[in-house]
Amino acid sequence: MFDPAVLAQILWTGLATSSYMVLFTIAFSLVLKVMKLWNFAQAGMMAIAFYAMYAAVNRFAWPTAAAVVFGLAVTLAATLAFEIWGLRTLRARRSSSLLFFIFTLVCSEFAAYVLTLVFGTEPVTLFPEILSPVRVIGQIAVSDWDLLGVGVTLALGIALALYLRFSRDGQFVLAVSDNAELAELYGIDAKRVYLVAFSIATVFVCAGMYLYGSRTAVIPTAPLQLMLFAVIATLLGGMGSVLGGALAAVGLSLLQSYSVLFIPSQWQGLILYVFLFVTILFFPGGVRRGFKAA
Amino acid sequence: MSAVLHLEGVFKHFGGIVVADDITLEIERGQILGLIGPNGAGKTSLFNIVTGVVPADAGDIRVNGVSIAGKGIHERARMGIARTWQNMRLFRTMTVLENMVVAPREYAGESMVRLCFRPGAVRRADEQACEQALAILERMQLERLADNAVTDLPYGQQKLVGLARALMNDGPCLLLDEPMAGVEGHAYETMKAVVRQEAQAGRAVCVVEHNISFIKDLCTSAVFMSAGRILERGQIADLLASKTLAELYFGT
Amino acid sequence: MEYVYSILILVGIYVVLASSFNLIIGTAGLVSIAHPIFFALGAYTSGLLAIHFGLNPIAGTLAGAAVAGVFSLMISLPSLRVSGDYLLITSIGFQLGLLQVIKNLELTGSQGGLSNIPTPIAGPERGWIFSLVALAAGAATVLLIRWIVRGPYGRAISAMRDDELAFVALGRDATRIKIVIFAVGSALAGIAGGIYAFYFQYLSPEQFEILASGTMLTMVVVGGMGSTWGPVVGAVLLLALPQAITFLRLPLSYMAPLQGMIFTLLVILFLFLRPQGLVAPEAPAPLRHKKQ
Repeated sequence: MFDPAVLAQILWTGLATSSYMVLFTIAFSLVLKVMKLWNFAQAGMMAIAFYAMYAAVNRFAWPTAAAVVFGLAVTLAATLAFEIWGLRTLRARRSSSLLFFIFTLVCSEFAAYVLTLVFGTEPVTLFPEILSPVRVIGQIAVSDWDLLGVGVTLALGIALALYLRFSRDGQFVLAVSDNAELAELYGIDAKRVYLVAFSIATVFVCAGMYLYGSRTAVIPTAPLQLMLFAVIATLLGGMGSVLGGALAAVGLSLLQSYSVLFIPSQWQGLILYVFLFVTILFFPGGVRRGFKAA
Repeated sequence: MSAVLHLEGVFKHFGGIVVADDITLEIERGQILGLIGPNGAGKTSLFNIVTGVVPADAGDIRVNGVSIAGKGIHERARMGIARTWQNMRLFRTMTVLENMVVAPREYAGESMVRLCFRPGAVRRADEQACEQALAILERMQLERLADNAVTDLPYGQQKLVGLARALMNDGPCLLLDEPMAGVEGHAYETMKAVVRQEAQAGRAVCVVEHNISFIKDLCTSAVFMSAGRILERGQIADLLASKTLAELYFGT
Repeated sequence: MEYVYSILILVGIYVVLASSFNLIIGTAGLVSIAHPIFFALGAYTSGLLAIHFGLNPIAGTLAGAAVAGVFSLMISLPSLRVSGDYLLITSIGFQLGLLQVIKNLELTGSQGGLSNIPTPIAGPERGWIFSLVALAAGAATVLLIRWIVRGPYGRAISAMRDDELAFVALGRDATRIKIVIFAVGSALAGIAGGIYAFYFQYLSPEQFEILASGTMLTMVVVGGMGSTWGPVVGAVLLLALPQAITFLRLPLSYMAPLQGMIFTLLVILFLFLRPQGLVAPEAPAPLRHKKQ
């Protein structure tokens, strides 16, 4: 059971599968950091991203690249509409965190219902074929999907880090994350920064759903569960830290992967919630930033 | 030792800023202590530390000899520390009387168990609180405003209501955070008179204020804070005559 | 006729659920999504007690309510100790986690659900007896909550919502109030669960999924958050709508998502166009004192 080759394989596969989780967590974490908003509408974004790409590939028979661009465009449109017509109004009214929560959650649920009407509840994958070519390196089986997952995640993650640290726009984003009112006093347009943050989140969400959907069958209500993982990882990683969230996502993923050695598979899903409870009991860092969008 | 409130070696820092640096002070029964100093000196922060809104990093705080370390905000209020806020913090959807009725140290209506099993006792406690509130309002000549929404009142009267609400707590200690800011005329005189009455009745009062005439009129002694430290303490006249303090305060 | 009875029973159950959820999120302002799981806890507890111990419906329902109330502490105690916002995450986790447990435990019938819950009440009287019970429970819930909210406890809650820090600095234990309200609301949901279990005699995990929270949110938001009669209006509306949709004669696979779509769309519309809902919260009872 503890054969090093098996452990190494689990490590690699666990890391690879953590890729989409990391992407979802970064998206969620970034929006929380910049806008102080627990964006439960992300599940809706994820669902829309997947089904847009799915429709492009399977219904319109477009090539993959076009499908991805289409997915990005549709998700971006929906997300920006959500921010401009939805969140801005609530912010202007100084709505309570309860209303923000209800709105974001109900948007996800609405999206799930609409997608169920259009696509039904049959689980579908992005491509007809979910198996990708595998090569053996050392004693570990490495599939093309694994490499794509790790590669895309690293690339996007590093790009985001560089953007935030070295570009002027990125500096504005960090300034607004720190103190939106102060940033506005210095002439930084917080509204534009929010749009930027959501756009970045859209990219990460689409990438994540591409990876997830090319490997696992998806139903319209699946993103809600996936999003919860991102929420827990965000909490664990510390609410202001996108990197922390990403690392927590990797850690939780590996925990789930290794848990297969110890517990029956049907209970694997429960690990996440146990971890959630442990986090809340022993890491009461407090939700200092609260739910209100800045 | 007749000190009602005793602070010993209280430390607090936020990030790199020291907000309270080895604060040691005492307030006795019947004393009105002025807490003065420039903005950002840590005066309100000290109130927040004493009331438990902000936890101290180190130090001892005692009320009538009993340590309040580790006690939550509401427990400290029940031990007899009453306070007002710089920005009043009245309950905006409620009337003057309603604001005050939820303010005594013990409020029967906050326990679901008592509400369900001893409704008569709860009702009687409510009536008593009403009477107590009206008595306090009468001292301020505000009893006719009892059923007005607090948001309908002019600023000066709102501040008086804030003080009245704090007075529902009959405990030994009263902390007032800039009670006179923006207040003048009749409200000013009323507030001064009421604070003096409370001290005469035996309360230990500490007032954070920028209004020098108020301090001179009312306070028996004062403490000058700057950048989290107590620089000077003693009689008002001496502090106000000190040139170094004047420089710090007025920048002249 | 049986059909009419089942509607009446659902009205009663929905009123209990909507009112208790409204108490938690509308009146006390607690952000929680876990109401369906307390409904489930009440239902499964009373169902299992009936199946394995032959417990009668009344005792079973009360046991279900107690279990729901106690389990609510598992959410509220750890998270409210920290801050009110943590409650949301804990409630989501609890909702989904417990549902996983129910789906996998053989005791609760796993995915297939729990069936054949016995009731001593059989025969033609079933219908109207349960209708009476359900409607009475609904009425009692509304009146109980109204009594709580209009009195000194409700005044404390109002103050807490206006400015929690100032409220606590007066000596009030806001955390305890929140924990108690959460427990009371959850226990009431448990009662609704008990009534549901004994009448419909079949429980499946799908009925309590997180999307069920959408139904409850609709009832509360559309009805009017924080008001006494809003949840009643919301509950009736939520039951009337599907009946209206049935006339469209669509296949079942379209009905459920269409229903869900309409509900969530209603919530969104109301959130923006009429946030106070259909019934605005009424003013609290004025304080009676001598100087009037």
